[in-house]
Amino acid sequence: MNKYTDVLIIGAGLSGLMAAAKAAEQGKKVMLVAKGMGAVGLSSGCIDLWGYNLEDPNQVCQDPLAEIARLCAVNPQHPYARVRDVLEESLLFFRRVCQENGYPYLDHRGGNWLLPTALGTLRPTYLAPASMALGDLQQVRGVLVVGFRELKDFYPDVLAANLKKSGVLQANCPLNTLMVCAGGGELTPNTLAHRLENPVVVDRIVDQIKPHLLPGAVLLLPPVLGERWDSQVAKNLAEKLGHPVYEVANIPPALPGQRLQQMLLHHVKGRGVEVVIGCTVNGARVADKRCTEVLATGAGKPIKISAKTVILATGSFLGGGLESKPGKAWESIFRLPVETGHEKWSARDFLSMAGHLFNQMGIKVNEHLRPVDKTGEVIIENVMVTGANLAGCNHPIEKCGNGVAVASGYKAGKLAGEVGE
Amino acid sequence: MSSDYRLALDNCIKCSICVSHCPVARVTDQFAGPKQNGPDLERFRLEEPAAVHPSVGYCTNCKGCDVVCPSGVAVSAMNCRARGEYVSMHGAPLRDKILARVDRMGRAARLAPSLVNRLAGLRPLRLLAEKMLGISAAMIMPRYAQKTFLELYKPQNVGDTGRKVLYYPGCYVNYNAPEVGLALAEVLAHNNIRVEVEQFDCCGLPLIANGLLDTARDQAKKNLAKLQGYINRGYDIVTTCPSCHLTLRQEYRELFQLNTDPLHEKMLDVFEYLSVLLQQGKLVTRFEELPLQVGYHRPCHLKAAGCGVPSREILQLIPGLRVADLDAGCCGLAGTYGFKKEKYAISQAIGRNVFNAVKELGVRQAISECGMCQLQIHHLTGVAVYHPLQVLAQACGHGKWLAK
Repeated sequence: MNKYTDVLIIGAGLSGLMAAAKAAEQGKKVMLVAKGMGAVGLSSGCIDLWGYNLEDPNQVCQDPLAEIARLCAVNPQHPYARVRDVLEESLLFFRRVCQENGYPYLDHRGGNWLLPTALGTLRPTYLAPASMALGDLQQVRGVLVVGFRELKDFYPDVLAANLKKSGVLQANCPLNTLMVCAGGGELTPNTLAHRLENPVVVDRIVDQIKPHLLPGAVLLLPPVLGERWDSQVAKNLAEKLGHPVYEVANIPPALPGQRLQQMLLHHVKGRGVEVVIGCTVNGARVADKRCTEVLATGAGKPIKISAKTVILATGSFLGGGLESKPGKAWESIFRLPVETGHEKWSARDFLSMAGHLFNQMGIKVNEHLRPVDKTGEVIIENVMVTGANLAGCNHPIEKCGNGVAVASGYKAGKLAGEVGE
Repeated sequence: MSSDYRLALDNCIKCSICVSHCPVARVTDQFAGPKQNGPDLERFRLEEPAAVHPSVGYCTNCKGCDVVCPSGVAVSAMNCRARGEYVSMHGAPLRDKILARVDRMGRAARLAPSLVNRLAGLRPLRLLAEKMLGISAAMIMPRYAQKTFLELYKPQNVGDTGRKVLYYPGCYVNYNAPEVGLALAEVLAHNNIRVEVEQFDCCGLPLIANGLLDTARDQAKKNLAKLQGYINRGYDIVTTCPSCHLTLRQEYRELFQLNTDPLHEKMLDVFEYLSVLLQQGKLVTRFEELPLQVGYHRPCHLKAAGCGVPSREILQLIPGLRVADLDAGCCGLAGTYGFKKEKYAISQAIGRNVFNAVKELGVRQAISECGMCQLQIHHLTGVAVYHPLQVLAQACGHGKWLAK
């Protein structure tokens, strides 16, 4: 089976979906092929740009865009240095797509939000879906943390105790917890979210919460308020309670990341992108520095796909985009070189503030996102690399994973859209 | 990727993507989910095959877990084997044994299709069947055709293109929806290609889904040998049912370790076949205008085949036709699953998204490649549902393929 397309995107994560959305908008025939559902479904659903100050990693960064500009000056190898020219327009594009699909992402006056997690810690992020965008905890006049008896992995008392310790709330701000029952059984976030789509269940929960509400309180809940991006559960709950309701970030698989993924997939399908998930690209033919076709397998059956432009958005080691054996790492489809250095790949401490070297491994690219060798020479001219495939980013420490994905995916899609007939 | 690799437990990194995309786990807590019934319990089953959780019976075998797994783990194959193990230890209910033999039911119904259709619609009888056997009285039964596809099919005289095509119709087309097979013959005749037909065994998917793996294995061997004979004689094999297609090509290999390699290049979904013709410039693209708006539902087993939506490219060539993707996930029927009394409500809850999407788009006709999806969409929404081939045959000009 042979397929032909203008733009082939390999990978269904955030950068791949952004590339698909942008290239399709420019009128290209776009195909997106992925081995499995991309890692954005495992993410918080927030778009982190840059979390902390360059010099002081304990200080939350107040102006991520300015900090990224400084970063690009001191670390020209960082992926942001390759995409800075489109960073702001990529964020506008992302927000427009979200808005069009009825799932708005909000910014915090150009700074970072400081959003509570399920552990009661505070995480900086640049864009948050409306259901998570809790403005300023210092202004809050009361907090009620609500958990569900049926749900594992969310403990209101833990959240409350750590939030209290963080010192972000006013000293006299009441902070209470409450366990409610959603009808019994043992539920996963998805099952619970499905149950909450039923207005009768929401009414029952409202009844349980109401007696515990203090004037002016905001509610913090696990991210289970609705299965789909177009769900109205959070909004309905807030209206019925007459108090603002927010979902906090929790461990995967959390719904906000999945909703973002569903929404973007829905968007690109609606724009004519052919999406094939469950199809593994395992190799490619390259001649004269051009990829002539990629070789894929769907349910054991070989498929050859030819494209004018190929966008490699297969992720890092977790997503299967990079492979390794002791002392050696490489990119899995084109066998692009991945520099490993001579140091140890991981730091001694799991939570080391220096980060782990393996997170920084990836493919080096030029300003057009084309893969380059050690000397800066382009290796394959019609391939572009995005997201976690890119070298030089320390995303768990820098808090920039989804930001790099949005900007690099957008840029690759835009450049692919400009490729002539 | 070899079967061994896909089955390897250690590739499962417990990311739970499969759980979050499982249509069953989403709507009920009776199913422990693909990860737990698959890789988690498989570790125990390596030592003790009896370590099967009864909740494995709630898996619909939609194979969504395989599709979304970023680590290439064949979660659904583990579930299937486990169910087979469970059934071999505890036996299957009579109801499951009946539902799993769609070929036998079809043959039996041939004696008096009208009578069977009438009886299948009688409320008291349905209630009795629910009480005695556990077959849901609420789910509509597929109607049997007056004559099977193999009886109705008459080879047409067409010019010689040198192309040899064998059609594997599957039980549903043969016994219930012969018009799909006839539409296929019409479309290929439009392209001067004659279709050969042959009596095959059921692909065995209903048996696999009900844990009756031994019978399925026997049928698989027979079918493969027959198909191999045609491949040796230079035939391409086309299918119109995504589930038959996937079972023949993937399940035989993954569940029974049979060699299906010869099928990979030679067996195609009919729209893949037409796409190849299109690419070679040999597709007759003379189509009549069809001013229709239809909603498209992608069957789970077509997704699992990892080949995209082959019908899309071809249907785009029909002037006037607008196809809107319902993009609503699994329809919930899953072959025999939704006919079971204890699973009917789950199947309807899963299908809710399809109902919503049809209502939202306001379409009055829908298309889907899978006969069971068609039945469920009609049951859920009341809209007319066709195989995309019927739409294509209509555009080819001869006959009324969309009149039901």
